[in-house]
Amino acid sequence: MLPGSKLKTLQELIDGSTRDELIWMNGYISGLVTPLKDFNGNGQNGHSTIVKKISIVFGTETGNSKKLATELAALAKQKGINVKCTGVDQYRLSDLDKEEFFFVVISTHGEGEPPGPAKKFYDAVMARTTTLPHLRFAVLALGDTSYPLYCKTGEDIDGHFIKLGAKQLLPLHKCDVDFEKPAKVWFDKVLSITEKGESASKLAGNVQAVAPKGEKKIYNGIILTHLNLNDRGSEKVTWHIEIGAEEPVNYEHGDAIAIIPHNRKEVIDRIITLTGIDESKVVESGKHKETVRVLLTERLNICYLLSSAIKKYAVITQQEIPDTRMDLIDLLRIYPVKNPEQFEEVIKVLPVIAPRLYSVSSSPLVNPNEVHLTVSRHAYLKQEEKHVGLCSTFLGDLSVNSAISFYVHRNRSFKLPADDKNVIMIGPGTGIAPFRSFLAERDARGATGQNWFFFGEQHFASDFLYQSEMQMFYQTGVLNKIHLAFSRDQQEKIYVQHRMIEQGKELFEWLQGGAYVYISGTKDPMSKDVEKAWLDIIVHHGKKTPEEANAYWESIKKEGRYHKDVY
Amino acid sequence: MATPQKLSPVERIKLSSDALRGSLKESLTDEITGSLREDDQSLIKFHGLYQQDDRDRREERAEKKLEWLYSYMIRLRLPGGLITPEQWTGIHHIAGEHSTGTIKITTRQTIQLHGIVKTHIKPTIKAFNTIHLDSIAACGDVNRNVTCSSHPSVSALHEEVFGYAAKISEMALPKTKAYYEIWLDEEQLLNKEEEKDPLYEDRYLPRKFKIGIAIPPDNDVDAFGNDIGMIAVIENGELKGFNIAAGGGLSTTHGNPQTYARLASMLGFVDTEEKVLKAIYEIMTIQRDFGNRSDRKLARLKYTIDRIGVEAFKVELEKRCGFSLEPARPYTFEFRGDHFGWSENHVGKWYYTIFTENGLIKDDEKIALKTALFEIAATGKAHFRFTCNQNLVLSDIDANDKDIVNELLVKFGIDQHTELASQVRRNAIACVAFPTCPLALAEAQRYLPSLISKIEPLLAKHNIDNEEMHLRMTGCPNGCGRSHLSEIGLVGTAYGKYNLHIGGDRVGERLNIRYKENLDEQGILDHLDQLFEMYAAGKNAGEGIGDFAIRNQLVQL
Repeated sequence: MLPGSKLKTLQELIDGSTRDELIWMNGYISGLVTPLKDFNGNGQNGHSTIVKKISIVFGTETGNSKKLATELAALAKQKGINVKCTGVDQYRLSDLDKEEFFFVVISTHGEGEPPGPAKKFYDAVMARTTTLPHLRFAVLALGDTSYPLYCKTGEDIDGHFIKLGAKQLLPLHKCDVDFEKPAKVWFDKVLSITEKGESASKLAGNVQAVAPKGEKKIYNGIILTHLNLNDRGSEKVTWHIEIGAEEPVNYEHGDAIAIIPHNRKEVIDRIITLTGIDESKVVESGKHKETVRVLLTERLNICYLLSSAIKKYAVITQQEIPDTRMDLIDLLRIYPVKNPEQFEEVIKVLPVIAPRLYSVSSSPLVNPNEVHLTVSRHAYLKQEEKHVGLCSTFLGDLSVNSAISFYVHRNRSFKLPADDKNVIMIGPGTGIAPFRSFLAERDARGATGQNWFFFGEQHFASDFLYQSEMQMFYQTGVLNKIHLAFSRDQQEKIYVQHRMIEQGKELFEWLQGGAYVYISGTKDPMSKDVEKAWLDIIVHHGKKTPEEANAYWESIKKEGRYHKDVY
Repeated sequence: MATPQKLSPVERIKLSSDALRGSLKESLTDEITGSLREDDQSLIKFHGLYQQDDRDRREERAEKKLEWLYSYMIRLRLPGGLITPEQWTGIHHIAGEHSTGTIKITTRQTIQLHGIVKTHIKPTIKAFNTIHLDSIAACGDVNRNVTCSSHPSVSALHEEVFGYAAKISEMALPKTKAYYEIWLDEEQLLNKEEEKDPLYEDRYLPRKFKIGIAIPPDNDVDAFGNDIGMIAVIENGELKGFNIAAGGGLSTTHGNPQTYARLASMLGFVDTEEKVLKAIYEIMTIQRDFGNRSDRKLARLKYTIDRIGVEAFKVELEKRCGFSLEPARPYTFEFRGDHFGWSENHVGKWYYTIFTENGLIKDDEKIALKTALFEIAATGKAHFRFTCNQNLVLSDIDANDKDIVNELLVKFGIDQHTELASQVRRNAIACVAFPTCPLALAEAQRYLPSLISKIEPLLAKHNIDNEEMHLRMTGCPNGCGRSHLSEIGLVGTAYGKYNLHIGGDRVGERLNIRYKENLDEQGILDHLDQLFEMYAAGKNAGEGIGDFAIRNQLVQL
């Protein structure tokens, strides 16, 4: 088809290219070609085409995005639309090129990170350079305005799709923790697009994209009980904290509580002395307008600042500061501000303190006006961990009768099954928290399903968290089986996964019998080791090849019988 | 025994225990708790262990939602209290690996280790087994460790008498193989006939049973405080046989007037080994058949004998033995303490008795006793023997090796520690009490050393610090520290409170009598100060403080 000269040039280009470059070129060229066809197509079909087929994908950590995606899918199906709804972790990335109407519901966690199951998808999208000319899309981003990088994952995906030439049907739609209403607004727009085709996007473009704020229910509580569960001689400190509220707290078993920690008084005192600022002066920073002391203590993050915040500091103070992360107090020491006025400017740009989430370890059926937390004190070992320690130190330093405010963070993907189902819970360390909640819940409900718990810590004598309560659950038949792994009570380290392997035969029988599996605790290495143990058990006791075991495990997940709450 | 009474719960546990097995194997696998199932807590005593917990920590742990801090005490069966240096080395390591590390010499010539957690019980027992030591029947309703006068230099016939302790222990050992199955993983016995037990049957004794053998003139075993007290009769350098006394026992219960301390009643003399063993055996069968099995507080042999009457008891014994007991032969007790320092026996072997305060062997800021003994054991030159006064005798040392041992004693300051300790401190005895003993009402071994430090100046003040004086403290009235059989006895009544008993003699032939009640430390010191003053002013030559108190009617017999 090509004249000789062009063919020669192309041949030379192909010969001199790597495989990856060829793949890229393939995509690039196809991207150059496709829009032309598309525009032609549009021209022929007219503007009032009713959309017949859409895809909805969700990236979820706690189940909220999944819940919304499913709701939207149901609404669309009612309208006779062919809907494909799937988690991004199940999504075949090569299908992106075939998508036309593509809706993403995705949340953001921690410091702007995608949900665990969405990481692969997120990384692949962000690394993609091949254009997506066919794609017409809209993103519903879930997040928490209390975090500095609010809805970042949704923002990134939205921005990158635009960059790749995809067509944005609706502006990025962000939702705070009370997402129900704003999500409904977005659903309506999506559905109107499916009725009217693309033209609806123009209409949508005029609507304010920011979700209504301030609907988050903040509870003011006081500390009722505050004690260290670990005995003398333990290397661990694990606080059991009972917070009482004046009104019933609207939470469920398995939910989390978000707490905004306060910065330490000594540090604030030093910052005030160092900068010479008037602590009682009222300053406006973001949405907060309060005295310098209140802002610094209760509102603004001063720990382990992101490099973006440090860059702003460098601009204000007109100093050269390397791309790094550090505490405000260190920044002030090494790169001092000129005068109090300059520090006031810094205060205005400091990010807000991010809330920390803790799994609730109580059940509302037993303690309707209380939430209980199980918080481990992090050792200040590594620079990276410093920012993690702020909240646990804050909580650890509280005493009985201290005031504390919090809000409920729903965790829909971590809930008990029907009362007659059997449950296997694996929760070493503070991973025990949601399971204390589960057991109390099942006890109160009189659930008939069996409960099996695996717990682990360092030492039996000092670190068996909630031992007397677990004994009571066991004696009263709420807890049917319990296996314990104390890693440092013998020469060889024994962890929960070792106990699971020992109990492999019966665990497999439970699994075969329809048991639900829950894991809570550290993601790495615990949850990975536990998942590996499950596969070993399935291979060994299910007499399966590793591939068959994987498939079996996938089917357990598909049936909604495997739930993780790891961090 | 006219009307059969309801059996006490422990009796039912014993009867239904399948020869002391109970559900111990299952109890050991209960991961969720450091304790044993309730019935097994009674049964494990027969295997030489007590379930205990750190009573100091109960409240704090309960608040932390942790159960009590359970651990186990293991007591060895060491008839006569003698072990080899290799065994000591083994015990040293076992203590370090599985227990608190401290080795406690008991008042019954054996040793015990504390603070063994449940998962360490089996490894501990297995480790003891490798050095040929066991804890079978060291506690429980059976014959306990048989004690024997400790110091070989008192008699050329010590070895022969000592042999009786081992033979009696062997004879009175329960026949059940439960110990081997549960702790040493031996195969389950198929033919139960093999463990048929004609002595204990399936009900064992109604209560613990203690036997002590004294070799006059020493009465370091406190022969009359035992269920059976045996007194070796030696005439013209020959062991003729034993005077046998029965029905001694020192435990009482506060507020229960039916309970009392009692000295053993002399039954008579028996000559040959066969007859001696037979008599001992049948005393036990009488107690088995006649002892009170409904009220454990009234179950010791002393109550059985008083109920039947000493004469009737003797008649029953002679009927069961098939021979008569001769009248008791004369003997004299002169000394009840230990012979501290170096001494030599009739064949030129050397002995060194080390003062071990309250029997505790550990390294502390004052003295590295545990390390010293470990190094001495490593030389292989000395055997280790424990005394009923909670001290330790390095024994059977060849004359050639004496210097090697002595060098180590000097290196670690053991010689000074032993020889410079005051009379009152060296002769004192304290039981374990807090924090591990579940019966303790008041402190004993943790407290007595500091109390003695306050008593010593009083003795010095009245210039009686060189008088031999036996002061004993127990944290409850059960008498493990034999406080009822001392010149000055302190019996715990409540935390920080003690009854003061006086009037016992120096050699253990007369019980003391309660003199003052519920004294705190200042009260104890004030009353002792007064007593010492009277004693210093009015004592006859060689008169002990207990005898003085009786003569002056400070207490009424």
